[in-house]
Amino acid sequence: MSETQLEQFRQEVRGWLGDNIPQGWRAAMTNAEQPAFVELQQAWFKKLVEQGYATPHWPEGWHGGGRSLAEQKVIFEEVARADAPRLILYFVALYHAACTLFECGSQAQKDKYLPGILNGEIWCQGFSEPNAGSDLASLKTRAERRGDKYIINGQKTWSTMAQYADRCLLLARTDGSGPPQAGLTYLLLDMKAKGVSVRPIDQITGDDEFAEIFFDDVEVSVEDRVGEEGNGWAVAQATLASERGLTLVELTQRMRGGLSMLVETLKSQGRLDDPHMRQQLGQVIPQVNAACAVADRYLQKRISDQEQVGDASIVKLYYAQVLRELVRLGVQSEGLAGQYHGGFMRGATQETGNWALDFMNSYNWSIAGGSNEVQRNIIAERMLGMPREPKQWQLS
Amino acid sequence: MSVEFQELRDAVRQVVDGLDKLGAEQDYWHQCLELGWLMVAAPEELGGLGMGCEAAVAVQLELGRGLSGAPYLPAVMAVSAICDSGLDDKSERLEKIFTGEAITAALVDGGLSASAQTLSGTLNAVLSADSATQLLFWTDDQSLVAIADLSHSAISAQGRDTWDTTRRLFDVELQSLPVADVTVLAEGRSAQTMIKQLRMQRDLGLAADAVGASTALLEMTVEHLNTRIQFRRPLAMFQALKHRCADMKTLCEASEALLISVLDTDSDADVMAAKQMATSHYATVAEEALQLHGGIGMAVEHPCHLYLKRAMLNPHLGTSSAACAESAVQALLDSVA
Repeated sequence: MSETQLEQFRQEVRGWLGDNIPQGWRAAMTNAEQPAFVELQQAWFKKLVEQGYATPHWPEGWHGGGRSLAEQKVIFEEVARADAPRLILYFVALYHAACTLFECGSQAQKDKYLPGILNGEIWCQGFSEPNAGSDLASLKTRAERRGDKYIINGQKTWSTMAQYADRCLLLARTDGSGPPQAGLTYLLLDMKAKGVSVRPIDQITGDDEFAEIFFDDVEVSVEDRVGEEGNGWAVAQATLASERGLTLVELTQRMRGGLSMLVETLKSQGRLDDPHMRQQLGQVIPQVNAACAVADRYLQKRISDQEQVGDASIVKLYYAQVLRELVRLGVQSEGLAGQYHGGFMRGATQETGNWALDFMNSYNWSIAGGSNEVQRNIIAERMLGMPREPKQWQLS
Repeated sequence: MSVEFQELRDAVRQVVDGLDKLGAEQDYWHQCLELGWLMVAAPEELGGLGMGCEAAVAVQLELGRGLSGAPYLPAVMAVSAICDSGLDDKSERLEKIFTGEAITAALVDGGLSASAQTLSGTLNAVLSADSATQLLFWTDDQSLVAIADLSHSAISAQGRDTWDTTRRLFDVELQSLPVADVTVLAEGRSAQTMIKQLRMQRDLGLAADAVGASTALLEMTVEHLNTRIQFRRPLAMFQALKHRCADMKTLCEASEALLISVLDTDSDADVMAAKQMATSHYATVAEEALQLHGGIGMAVEHPCHLYLKRAMLNPHLGTSSAACAESAVQALLDSVA
């Protein structure tokens, strides 16, 4: 697609978003209960699906699919620019589940599950466990083969929106004898099946965006295994790679909106002329610009097939750091007023303008999806070529 | 970033890595002339290579890698000013610069006032003023951009010993230099436009210098940690040190991405932001590099200190960090208003 066509597409997306974004969603989501949030997500999802903007990354032939990476980037940028709600409830379905199926799923699995995703089925991810976070491969949830079924027992945690999910992408252990990565198997699990229970986790923000999932002799058909038994680690890599960079293009662009909110806060606190605050604001602005530039550059590399190992880690690490700086300055600029409990907003994720909330939420990005420390290991070991940690240490 | 930009950068890097002494003003200047690096930004009809201003940034990224002491940046500014001027003999003047007649300029603002028909004051941080034949300057009131012969009797240059030994800075004093004796490049409103342009180029050049130097310094630090053995393992195996290198890498990437993203902007606030970030990240990388080198970093025989001293100087050249920050704030306020 030429530059001109891409620009034309941008105008088309911009125009459509202008006409279709749920009006006043920020106000409606302030102090809203979760059902109202789910309702908004469903309605917004439906609109995006109909327009084809929810599935630009799906292959050609699917409604909305077959868009180039450059076009997908345009959609994400415009969604951020228009300050549309983030599709938090459907992200795992649209990206993680769909991309895993496209890349590793059988034809029967694609036929069975993909139409459901377009119809609004919600998926969650069952990867992390209480004792398997950064060291994901050490996970212990068992999948025991019995005839043409697997019997699942164990526990998952930090699963986003699992309390609303219809299905789960499950990474479970089928073999405990070899190296940790080798004994994992990837399954598609029905969250309504017998033996599944979900417990939302009360978070420090007052929200319960994450949940624990417990499996008690849950049956999964062998037909719902993605890839071979024991090959789950490779399939999980496909899941995690599915939206490489696009989310961060959106999130870094959204920080520009965050800067405008910061100006509003400083204004309302009468601190816009405070030299100390101005000086700090002057430090954060280039960082926000740089975060956008880093994410943009990464995606350009992907578009031209020049991505290198570790590039994605730099984008995520830097975003997490800049976001923290931005929201910390927000907290600071509010002074004592920011310590009184303000309005709680759902679906905006990072920049709600309630800075204390945003500050706490910013830890999502420095912990989830590979913590800052894990990203630093990847950058040091795989980009800079520094040796790995020695592994002799044993529990005594 | 265009393919052309990257190819030029790669070519310059190869030359820089082939030179055996960091800084070496003469060697670098020789390469700048020999390989036509002074010509990259000038349009073809004036005898240049027509690669645009960003090409000069590509060159400076790699010159920074080798801590080049050559007065490339003032030359780039002079080429741009001459191209944008109303002079009749642009080609001839550029030809002289391309073949080695050095023209220098101050790397900081301020110091020069115009009264009646003369110019007086002192310009600071003028690069390699003793080997240059001409001086590009502008007045504090932004009414005039001009070139003067450094051999004029009303001009004197005094070398300053700086901690950064990779650059040679001079104070250049003008004592009632008659305006009639200078070559005027721009006056009035067009002078203001030209000065804005020149400042942007200066900040871009300094940012590129900082990015190139910090990238090279990080490589050097990682190599040191990979080879130095303590506690029977390479220092690079310690996570505490690895993570610091990862953070340095992230700072380098952020500076570079921001710099590349502002190459075709006409917003000086964006360019200042890139300069501020690149120089401050370079300073952080240089501080960390010295610490991570341990004792050897304190020895003059090791190049670590050369990078550190240049990192300490860079924030004070070009637009000041405080002015950069204030301009970023103002641009944001204008955009939300």
